[in-house]
Amino acid sequence: MCRRTLQIFVALVFILIPWLNSRHISFVYGNFLSFNLAGFPLADPLAVLQITIKNAYLSFDLITGALVALAIAFFLGTVFCSWICPFGLLSDLGQTISRSVMPKVKNTKDMKSNEFKIKIVIFLTGLAGFLTFSTTPVLNQFSMPAWYSRIFQFIFTQNHFSLAIAFILFVLMVEFFSKKMLWCRYVCPQSVLLILFKQLNPGRLKVDFKTDNCFHPKKGQEPCTNACNLGLDPKHLASGLETECTNCGDCIVACSRYGQALNYKFKR
Amino acid sequence: MSKDSGFLRPPGARSEKEFLVRCLQCGQCAQVCIFDCIHMQTGFNPFIAGTPIINPLDAPCHLCMRCSAICPSDALHDIPIENVKMGFAKLDRELCYTWKGQIICRSCFERCPLKGMAIELERGEYPVITDKCAGCGVCEHVCSQGAIKTIPTRFVE
Repeated sequence: MCRRTLQIFVALVFILIPWLNSRHISFVYGNFLSFNLAGFPLADPLAVLQITIKNAYLSFDLITGALVALAIAFFLGTVFCSWICPFGLLSDLGQTISRSVMPKVKNTKDMKSNEFKIKIVIFLTGLAGFLTFSTTPVLNQFSMPAWYSRIFQFIFTQNHFSLAIAFILFVLMVEFFSKKMLWCRYVCPQSVLLILFKQLNPGRLKVDFKTDNCFHPKKGQEPCTNACNLGLDPKHLASGLETECTNCGDCIVACSRYGQALNYKFKR
Repeated sequence: MSKDSGFLRPPGARSEKEFLVRCLQCGQCAQVCIFDCIHMQTGFNPFIAGTPIINPLDAPCHLCMRCSAICPSDALHDIPIENVKMGFAKLDRELCYTWKGQIICRSCFERCPLKGMAIELERGEYPVITDKCAGCGVCEHVCSQGAIKTIPTRFVE
């Protein structure tokens, strides 16, 4: 409930900002690549990394903006993905609706531990391509939240309806029918940087499972596994799939009726 | 030649290559522009989509420099307006009212943000564009005869 409210709030804020800007109210401006609220900057860490590499240059705005995002990941994990990112919201809603409209027959846990490698390969390929060929931070074009916010910048400040709307809807539709959050799981390079940064802190926030409190009677359709839109098994996160968990807390909420075996914890 | 190919970059941008290497495509410059002249480039060219452009015929830049003040990656350097080199304006004397001897117009001179410096009036009447021209495009925008064209800096690099 709390999470959904925050996600929707952020998604609406980034529609409101360009609307305000078109009326020349600019105490807040920017998109998900770089953003400024009354002087306080926020920035996409991957965008900042690309600029820094190619320019050997840093500014106060860029460092602060990126460090805030990285610090959140350091302590809380990739909560950006599940609590803030507007594309994460749309993708998540797509999964929830898809599962209630077309319920899966078998157990929903389906993410394999080597799937993270796909995202790493894409990230490294993109980074290598950027370093070799590009003069511009092209990996920014892979940022779904950036495109989401840019779509509204185009609409309100230029009366332009970008084809990116169709592209995002297409990705969401494929995700809806395949029942997987494809972009978040396999593509998003911005998340790779957040994940790598969170790994630096072994004592970060995690979802902790206590077997003694698990009272769900039926094996196979556990509420926690059913609740996970990423296809993870919250009872067995330590097996290397914890890198994938975005700390959304849906499993914790689902388990609250069955003994509260799952909880957030800062633990090693 | 596509509609966008003659566009200018916002003031404070240096060479096209140096600009593109720093531009985050965040759109902040477009959003603080009070003259609504900066637009973000549409389309899906991965190198330039989302970068800021100005089309002086639609809305010229008036060199208020708010964009370069807030650019987070310094793709737009915060420089005094005398140092701005978005491009340079070229006046076609075959089209200009005053040079053709028809009427004394002076629109370009009156509207130039670097008034008296970038456009001078020869003999008090005939507009001549000097090398102090910042390339903002206001003159191109106000000229009713289309006698002025602003050539972006990158076309001369």
